[in-house]
Amino acid sequence: MPDSGAGRLVLLILAAVFAFLYVPIAVLVGLSFNASGLPTAWTGFSTRWYAALLQNGEILGAARNTLIVAAASTAIATLLGTALAVGVELRRRRSRGIEALIFAPMIIPDIVLAIALLSFFSLLRIPMGLHTIVMAHVVFNLAFVCAVVRARLKSFDWSIVEASSDLGASLVTTWVRVVLPVIAPAIVAGALLAFTLSVDEFIIAFFTAGAGRASITLPMQVYAMIRFGVTPEINALATLVMGASLVALALAQRLNRRTLGA
Amino acid sequence: MRPVVEIEGVVRRFGSVTAVDGVSLAIAEGAFFALLGASGSGKTTLLRMLAGFEMPDAGRILLDGADITRTPPNRRPVNLMFQSYALFPHMTVAQNVAYGLEMERRPRAEIRARVAEMLETVQLLPLAGRRPDQLSGGQRQRVALARALVKRPRVLLLDEPLGALDAKLRGQMQLELKRLQHEVGITFIVVTHDQDEALVMADRIAILRAGRLEQVGTPREVYESPATRYAADFIGQMNFLPGHALPGGLRLPDGGLVRVAGEGPVQGEAVAAVRPERIRLGPGENTLTGTVRALAYHGLDLQLQVETPAAAEPVTLRLTAGEAETAPGIGERVTLGWAARDTRIFPA
Repeated sequence: MPDSGAGRLVLLILAAVFAFLYVPIAVLVGLSFNASGLPTAWTGFSTRWYAALLQNGEILGAARNTLIVAAASTAIATLLGTALAVGVELRRRRSRGIEALIFAPMIIPDIVLAIALLSFFSLLRIPMGLHTIVMAHVVFNLAFVCAVVRARLKSFDWSIVEASSDLGASLVTTWVRVVLPVIAPAIVAGALLAFTLSVDEFIIAFFTAGAGRASITLPMQVYAMIRFGVTPEINALATLVMGASLVALALAQRLNRRTLGA
Repeated sequence: MRPVVEIEGVVRRFGSVTAVDGVSLAIAEGAFFALLGASGSGKTTLLRMLAGFEMPDAGRILLDGADITRTPPNRRPVNLMFQSYALFPHMTVAQNVAYGLEMERRPRAEIRARVAEMLETVQLLPLAGRRPDQLSGGQRQRVALARALVKRPRVLLLDEPLGALDAKLRGQMQLELKRLQHEVGITFIVVTHDQDEALVMADRIAILRAGRLEQVGTPREVYESPATRYAADFIGQMNFLPGHALPGGLRLPDGGLVRVAGEGPVQGEAVAAVRPERIRLGPGENTLTGTVRALAYHGLDLQLQVETPAAAEPVTLRLTAGEAETAPGIGERVTLGWAARDTRIFPA
């Protein structure tokens, strides 16, 4: 095939598509190591922008906020999402309607969810800050964790729960020693997915953060900085965030493949 | 001696369906007991009530004389081998087998010794470190068996234990299960839809139909003296000749008479039943004449289908390999004979 003209054309199109997707990212990563501050000229390899990044108090504060929001919303969503997935699966026949309700936050546009949450918090006069961002992120993370865990539960053999009970285990022991270990990879995969989604979420965080600098997250910080032009520091930050996301995503996929393959 | 298991008038309904409808049974210590029935006969529901996964709507279940009807599964000295085997996929063979002993909080040394001994018995010791997905179907079946047996239950329940195996392995495992049961001396209650399996393995068989007991007896009793027409039809092959019951026999539509040993209590419309292997070529106490319509060679025997004026359905008989050499061909006229004591009469 690669010898024929048509085959070569197909390869060329494929290369063009991948270039379109990944060249900008490669350029960004490259510029983050550019000694010069200008995107127009390469003056040599340097990690000075990474050093500058680590001394920028605003960026570090925003990164800290993002990690707090991501960790807290992931923890809550993983707990609730797993419980929800199990509950829905156990009552599968009676929960068709519930299923649609669970997955709605995955489909509803972020901007709609953002406005709705903002109105909701204002209406209840809840003072806004990091805690409201956490609550807002739980809303969509819950749906994603639930979806991943449910996919695993669909192929779960419930007779092993009866077998455990038959062999003398209490309900709690059965959950700790049989059910959770079997679905653990799916729970971890769901949690990693939730964490990644939370880290780079902008719109909803922007709407539910409230006023002031105290609860600015990383995407909001980048947005604020970018209004004065793309600085190499942002390139360095973007490279770090992308690296962390890729690691998390790769882990999640690997775990999920292992559960589904079993 | 008091039976190990006593089932007293047990009923279980699912919505409008009565799965088990007033079953009473006593199962003796050390028995290999088969619950035999077609799908929907209630045999699995009955087994699940013995394991504690279903609660009867009425009736009682006693184990060694103690009422266990409401005892949860994890507190019954009874273990179930699941049809799907239900092995824990994240544990090794040894961990699967040790699980039940860990639940009893046995000392670690005792657990290790008993697991090793059990795996030796089912010839799985070399595979102790494998996970279930690295085992063949037959090996998984033996792990499931070992996991249930290692707890030394008063009664071992087996739900279609050989259902997932291929025919040849099934034949071996029937004898293997029987040997193992003899060796460990534990009462086995096995659910099966396979009448051959029940005849080979069990020393007592209960035939269930639509949630009720049809007959309980030894394999020989249920085969030689079926209590009902359903039991006669379900176990083995049977010829049925419809007619009108008389004292001492049955009048066929063509006027012929089928004699039975002793007078049956049956009157009115009835069927006479006789096993294919009891019919011989040549006249007997009961005689029919007809034309050979089909021959089927089975290796060990030759089956003849003979059309007679006495019945709408052809009569089947089985000739042994020796007799088959002189067997009639298709279209030949033949005389069939059998003894009165090999004939049974059931209400139509």
